[in-house]
Amino acid sequence: MPELALRHVTKLFGDTVAVDDLSLDIRNGEFVCLLGPSGCGKTTTLRMIAGFETVDRGSILLDGEDITAMPPQARDIGLVFQHYALFPHMTVAQNVGYGLRMRRLPAARVAKEVAAALDLVRLGSLAARYPSQLSGGQQQRVALARALAIRPRLLLMDEPLSNLDAKLRDDMRAEIRRVQRQVGITAIFVTHDQSEAFGLADRIAIMTQGRLRQMAEPAAIYEAPANATVGAFIGQVNALSGRIVALDGEHARLGLDTGLEIAGTGRELRPGAAATSIVKQERIQLSRQQPQGENVFPCRIEAQTYLGGTISYVCRLRQETVTVAVPNNRAFERFDTGEAAFASWSSADCHIFAA
Amino acid sequence: MRRLAAGAGWAYLTAVYVFVIGPLVFVAAESFNSARAFPAAFAGVTFHWYRAILAHPDFFSAAWTSTLIAAISSTVATAAAFTAGYALRRRGGQESALLSTLLASPLLVPQIVISLAMLQFAGLFGLGAGLLSLVAVHTIHGLPFALRLVLTGFARFNFSLEDASFSLGAGRLTTWREVTLPLLRPNLIAGFTFCFILSFVNLPISLFLTDAQTTTLPLVMFAYIESRIDPMLAAVATVVVVVAGIATLILERYLKIRLVE
Repeated sequence: MPELALRHVTKLFGDTVAVDDLSLDIRNGEFVCLLGPSGCGKTTTLRMIAGFETVDRGSILLDGEDITAMPPQARDIGLVFQHYALFPHMTVAQNVGYGLRMRRLPAARVAKEVAAALDLVRLGSLAARYPSQLSGGQQQRVALARALAIRPRLLLMDEPLSNLDAKLRDDMRAEIRRVQRQVGITAIFVTHDQSEAFGLADRIAIMTQGRLRQMAEPAAIYEAPANATVGAFIGQVNALSGRIVALDGEHARLGLDTGLEIAGTGRELRPGAAATSIVKQERIQLSRQQPQGENVFPCRIEAQTYLGGTISYVCRLRQETVTVAVPNNRAFERFDTGEAAFASWSSADCHIFAA
Repeated sequence: MRRLAAGAGWAYLTAVYVFVIGPLVFVAAESFNSARAFPAAFAGVTFHWYRAILAHPDFFSAAWTSTLIAAISSTVATAAAFTAGYALRRRGGQESALLSTLLASPLLVPQIVISLAMLQFAGLFGLGAGLLSLVAVHTIHGLPFALRLVLTGFARFNFSLEDASFSLGAGRLTTWREVTLPLLRPNLIAGFTFCFILSFVNLPISLFLTDAQTTTLPLVMFAYIESRIDPMLAAVATVVVVVAGIATLILERYLKIRLVE
């Protein structure tokens, strides 16, 4: 039985549909990231699961129990907030013990559970401090310990890393995943940051404009986007639009207005229909020698940006422009701006979607 | 040029202190004046006027009535300000701005008019002048001030703290008790104290609402002036100022609340 199930969940704010007929299942012990641009409805979804927002249509089931109308305090769902939301007038220990006191556990039991929760996030020595005396990373750990201390049925996290600097963010990401595995709790993590989602999730649910676009393992999301929305949103991509000029099963050829013809793969395509091909920047090769195979086009390097780990080349193929990310590694050729080269990519890396 | 500016600054500051503190010092000084008239040139030091207060039980009963009215009306006004402020800040939006203006509107009506209107309004419910009407009118008068102070507190209050409390299993009342009220405590105490002092010293809003048993200290003082003027009134005023001053100091020192900023 799935741990958490959303069934046709819909949320309206006035005339705006914030979440549109959203259905998904999250399995027991799974770590799921809700990924999408800001305003896509991911935080509203989280707040409905937590019980802070009412559900206009549809239902939410937790372990088979309908919790759609249950008040938040009865749900046993742990929450980690974007701005930590630690109680500033309570010590770390009082913050972590708050939920246990609300459950009227005896003081000795509360103290024991608080110590265990703080050990879990490696903050045992700071129990007597106030939140204002802690760094951002420490506050986030306290927030995590507080949410887990009540032994919730589900752990929800709303962009918990967005207030931390980059290095700390990586550490906290690993820490969150370690703690989640150790406790074995089902977790939902909301983020707009792709690398965060890919680094954390067992499965990623992509949302845009209130709708679920794809839910799959990170590799499947990356390698086999289900639609043009996901294809364009995930990774750094080049999108080229034209018409289907040839179709053989899932193999298609896309004719561009500029006369280029691109080989790719796609489903539910019709000959002559408008379509878009999407290829990720790092799946395009640049070479001085003309390579063998499909999708080989002469091009000219128009600009380049040194990004450290990669070098980003802007290349002109007739009237089209594509951006190519080349690893900054001796095994790969380097090009000067203005130089001629060949750009090529495999049809397997080129996804074609009906427009 | 810079010295001139500094000099002007000092002159301004001095003028503020002279005009704000000056009259208080003058009144306090007169309360120790042995001359019979008020105000009068200083004739000699006496505590006679403070002893004279003891011979006026009406001042004491009025002071008690004023304390009672101030205590009840400030409590009600602060509680109402908290619930109103909570609703205004939690909901936000256009109607909130309108409502907060509406709640501040008693400030715009002359107080003597409020007093007269309350007398007629209370009449509709078969109530005349008396304690209940006085408490009601003092509550209305204090509400805008309490609301201002409470809204300042809510402006800095993070409502996701309440969500955190709910998610940890606390209901709304428990959340208020454990999280919201403790964090707004300085503003609530400041609002209460402000209302209390405003109520205690206010004359015009009580004007039409006192009866034979229930009258307020400012009204008794006013009545006393009408019959005769001697430094005993200065002694009463000095006592009020000293008591209010001590209360303010205690609040600022022990509760770390700044009433005067």
